[in-house]
Amino acid sequence: MRETGQRSGDPYGAAVDEVASPAAEDGSLPRGSPLFVPLLFLGAAVLPGSLVVVVGLWGDEPAVQAWRNVCLSISVQALPFLLLGTALSGAINAFVPARVFDRALPRRPALAVPVAGAAGVVLPGCECASIPVASSLIGRGVTPAAAFAFLLSAPAVNPVVLTTTAIAFPGDPSMVVARLLASLATAVVMGWLWLALGREKWLRPTVRHTGHRPGHSRWTEFRLGFQHDFLHAGGFVVVGAMAAATFNVAVPESVLDTFSGSPWLSVLFLAGLAILLSVCSEADAFLAASLTGFSPVARLVFMVVGPMVDLKLIALQAGTFGRAFAIRFSAATTVVAILCSTLVGGILL
Amino acid sequence: MKRLTQAILLVLSGTGLLHIALLTDLYLRYVKEWMRPMLIASGVLLLLLGAAEVWSHRRPGAARARDRGEQGTYEDPDGHPHDHSGVPRAAWLLLLPALSMLLYAPPALGAYTASRQTSQPVAVQQDHFEPLPEVSPLPLTLGDFATRVRQDPEQAVKGRSIQMTGFVTPVERGEGWDLTRLLINCCSADAQAVKVRIHGGETPPADTWVTVVGTWRPDGMLGTSSAAVALDARTVRTIDRPADWYRDALVLPLAD
Repeated sequence: MRETGQRSGDPYGAAVDEVASPAAEDGSLPRGSPLFVPLLFLGAAVLPGSLVVVVGLWGDEPAVQAWRNVCLSISVQALPFLLLGTALSGAINAFVPARVFDRALPRRPALAVPVAGAAGVVLPGCECASIPVASSLIGRGVTPAAAFAFLLSAPAVNPVVLTTTAIAFPGDPSMVVARLLASLATAVVMGWLWLALGREKWLRPTVRHTGHRPGHSRWTEFRLGFQHDFLHAGGFVVVGAMAAATFNVAVPESVLDTFSGSPWLSVLFLAGLAILLSVCSEADAFLAASLTGFSPVARLVFMVVGPMVDLKLIALQAGTFGRAFAIRFSAATTVVAILCSTLVGGILL
Repeated sequence: MKRLTQAILLVLSGTGLLHIALLTDLYLRYVKEWMRPMLIASGVLLLLLGAAEVWSHRRPGAARARDRGEQGTYEDPDGHPHDHSGVPRAAWLLLLPALSMLLYAPPALGAYTASRQTSQPVAVQQDHFEPLPEVSPLPLTLGDFATRVRQDPEQAVKGRSIQMTGFVTPVERGEGWDLTRLLINCCSADAQAVKVRIHGGETPPADTWVTVVGTWRPDGMLGTSSAAVALDARTVRTIDRPADWYRDALVLPLAD
């Protein structure tokens, strides 16, 4: 955090870097030269124009249009959920005293983990919303293990997701039960795993989550926290959306048929697909239902991994908690999620 | 990042959302219509946030307050006041969707996406089929037609004149072209194609919306999975693109 802060603390910041570079090309002329201003204007007139033409020619290819569509649609659909999540995290930060969480959660971290995981079932939210909320929970003194259990379970098993799963798999309630159990198990196991192996130093210090400080307006604190979290997370959602759109457009669906034959390969393949496609947890059940060539266990893995690990979320986690954390946490979550859902799926499906 | 730049980002994103969801119907290219109220609310909220930021920035004394360490300036553990608010440069990327929404909205998904999909969305195994209405030509959705052809033991579509609407996806292998609909559940990243192969006549240009009237092409055993989901077209009429092009034709039968 400190590093980023200092870089953007530079009074000119990114704005001047970017604006200055075209001018620097004509910049062998000293500023005082009589040619400087006309050349600057010429550059300003020609560069954007030719850029628009190039982008326009290239941007009308069907593949590029599809890419832009998917990229924009993931961003557009994530924005309202992201706003909800960051507003909630801003509110927790500014209005909720830390003692509320002390009282609500069991004192022993090992017990707080399952309680937080179960609490995730109640909050209907997209995965984008849960990351800022978890981050502000840690800032308010909740043990990270419990916050992570909440982070994983909130998008994976809320009423909306379970309902869409039931609609997507009609006459197959065992799929809904299996999804609920496997996701909860993954969230709780990951929480305990963090207690056993996690290192605080992987987490970027959450400097800005200071909570309410006496003498400051709570509303201003709320607004600034909200705005900061939104801008911060929004940029990373766009990164994730671009990566997901690339895979969505570049990988033809016929690849699926190659993997659907072998049961183990298909489990791993659908786990990978869930990570790459980054479909919203409220829609992934329909996609899973359409993957008819795959075994029910593989489809369960798709639905358990998807809401917990995907490109958009890895980018968002890296932005919120730091890269060291995001890589380790996502890798561990993928493994645990695959194990839990194969186990639960093997028994129930 | 400067506070004013943050305000500009917020306002641009908010305006972009309002542009696609409130002033135009562009949002239907990307998400389902139930997202509309949420998009409008988000747009308004972002505009308000941006306005509040500008207002607090211009208020007399704001500069002094910032120097004192108020207004989102966070202090290092060792007491040094930090920069404006530590928003990373990644936030600049929000400009891309914002400007794209305002100036350069990509078109809806179409033949390119559909041509890359091989699988059909699952038609739920249906045991009971209602008798088909006695109209001719009989309007059916693509999904209904596929279900009838593959699953109806009564073979009710046999010899019937059927009317279906969708857009044109040229095929690489085999003859004819695909009458296509893309269905989305949430956003267009989860788009799935449902296709009916059309035989007879020339292939219209890709992405043209057409209404086709024809009869089931006898190929395979009707009412079983061996039956081809294909139509011998009698007429192919070009139409305007319907407003609900991502409609889930499987859930709402006879919607055309």
